[in-house]
Amino acid sequence: MNLGQQIMLLYRKDLRVEVRKKESLIAMAFFGALIMVILNLAAGRSGRIEAEQLAGILWVAILFSSVLGLGRVFAREKENGCVAALLVSPLSPEALFTAKALVNFTLMCCSELVLVPVFLALFGGRLEPDPLALTVLLGLVNLGFSAAGTLLSALAAGTRRNEVLLPILLYPLCLPLVILAVKATGAVFGGSALFEILDQLEPMAAFGLIYAVAGYLLFAHAVREV
Amino acid sequence: MAETFLHIEGLRKSYGGLEALKGVSLTLEKGDFLCLFGPNGAGKSTLLKILATLLTPSAGTVRAAGFDLEEHPEAFRAQLGLVSHQSFLYDDLSARENLEFYAALYGVADSRARAGELLERVELAHRAHSPVREFSRGMQQRLTIARALVNDPSLLLLDEPYTGLDEHAAGRLSRQLHLLHEAQRTIVMVTHNLRQGLELATTVGILAQGKLVFLKQRDQIAPEAFEQLYIDHLEAA
Amino acid sequence: MLKRYDPFALLALFALPAAAAMVFFYAPLEETMGLVQKIFYFHLGLAAAAFLSFFVACIAGVFYLVRRQRVWDERGAAAIEVGVLFTTLVLLTGSIWGRPIWNTWWTWDPRLTTSLILWFIFTACLILRGAVEQEAKRAVFSAVMAIAGFIDVPVVFLSARLWRSIHPTVIRSEGIALEPAMLATLAACVAAMLILWAALFRLRCGMQRQENTLLDLQQQLSR
Repeated sequence: MNLGQQIMLLYRKDLRVEVRKKESLIAMAFFGALIMVILNLAAGRSGRIEAEQLAGILWVAILFSSVLGLGRVFAREKENGCVAALLVSPLSPEALFTAKALVNFTLMCCSELVLVPVFLALFGGRLEPDPLALTVLLGLVNLGFSAAGTLLSALAAGTRRNEVLLPILLYPLCLPLVILAVKATGAVFGGSALFEILDQLEPMAAFGLIYAVAGYLLFAHAVREV
Repeated sequence: MAETFLHIEGLRKSYGGLEALKGVSLTLEKGDFLCLFGPNGAGKSTLLKILATLLTPSAGTVRAAGFDLEEHPEAFRAQLGLVSHQSFLYDDLSARENLEFYAALYGVADSRARAGELLERVELAHRAHSPVREFSRGMQQRLTIARALVNDPSLLLLDEPYTGLDEHAAGRLSRQLHLLHEAQRTIVMVTHNLRQGLELATTVGILAQGKLVFLKQRDQIAPEAFEQLYIDHLEAA
Repeated sequence: MLKRYDPFALLALFALPAAAAMVFFYAPLEETMGLVQKIFYFHLGLAAAAFLSFFVACIAGVFYLVRRQRVWDERGAAAIEVGVLFTTLVLLTGSIWGRPIWNTWWTWDPRLTTSLILWFIFTACLILRGAVEQEAKRAVFSAVMAIAGFIDVPVVFLSARLWRSIHPTVIRSEGIALEPAMLATLAACVAAMLILWAALFRLRCGMQRQENTLLDLQQQLSR
């Protein structure tokens, strides 16, 4: 079995579990929508909210709810000691990382399929986001967040404080991503097209690439026993 | 004269100031069944984890079927089967799905056929499509063994497999292990279950405080004498 | 063996007062900001030392993962701790500088924003260290996190610079024309801070080493 086949095998196995149980997806979508409502209420009845502030609300909802799914994806492997079984098999840790990162990416995309429409319904009266720009933007953030998140979820899952630790480790690392995403999304909500937000997209792509490579190289250390 | 199958020489493992294994050496021939006993904290799990390539030793060599653990870990792993008190199974997948997944992972040509075969062997074919979370402990253990056999391993490692099993399930497990032993697989089992262990073993050993303090062929010592020796070591710890 | 006096500590004992003296007696008074501007010298020196600390933590992490020698974990831990300390001081001095001038305790100046993010990342490293009891595992996890944290720095810089354009009222330190006397004072302060960093780093390394030795002894005795 080559690397690509191993990755697909693991990816399909995880998707099968997700589709069957739907626990992560439901939790992410529900919690994300809840956050949007809470933020709307917390913002008070001041009337107009700026495009960039709206972008902030969207990203808080997406990123805070995504951590729920992220944590579970790897914790599930640790449950019955499956990580050990995988390490003893011909599967390489790099394949495990790639597969898990792909699963996390897919989960984020799926939850956004729910959250973005909900967001636009709640807030988007005046907004005319360019669909292509928005999609590329979401895709890049998902890439970076999944890559970094998968690596860090392995670290967090190795401690006794998994659920608490993952947000503490992940959010600081992803703060630059948040800054770029909010700026770019604000611009898109204001009507900007794809080529106008390239300045923000490039560092986001760099972030994604850096953590995809770093995760690929460092994951083995995070999952092996010492 | 049967050939040497597993050769361990001067195996050491330390964690900072703590030495979990202090130079363990042993040799097993093909088809041997080694039962390793010992008090908790003696290093039995550590030894097994090193054999399973889950831990790297601080010093020493391990060879199985001609492959050195450090030089050819993939080839070494390819012939390994691992059973633990943890099931290594995915609770949300069915028994068949679990086996097909692992079979595909090990590159088995027809994973569906292999899964079906193994389910028959451990008498779980009637529950092939039930999710593992619905299985009793005994059924889980049988499926765990099936999983370990997916790659037709020549070396089987078992870490306290009798944990949590009732008499009936334990008997079933012993029968399975006996069959595997007859099929000339080399087996290393760590257990606290003296009765079952002594019945199955061809070689018995005691690990205490990181050292192999006793290693003999099973027929060279009377069960009562061995039991006494074991109890002595348990009390000394 | 315990050394009575670390050479860097001794050096720091002289370098710090000397730098402070330069700041208050040698460097000219800046026209627009007055006395408060002098904190800038320490602020920049602290920032340089903090950055160095995180760089050392990352390198120590790489060395540990490759060599698995305890000494690299000790250095990594020391670098992270001292780095967090210095970053905290960067944030405090930045805040003190900003308050009288812009009437605010915080500005989203790129350097301060970068320092804040780094503070969070490396404090997270410390929290991670606290969550793992087994020594070898703690060392591996800490190494991975330190590396993951440091490779973020370029993107953090870029994004912080981008953030600045949202907040136009910003400390434009690059806009301050630096006379030769100011440059000399700045150089002296940076040097003094680096010496202080080295002293604290070495001290902390030594303490980590002693802690590990103590734990080893405890383990051996309890068997």
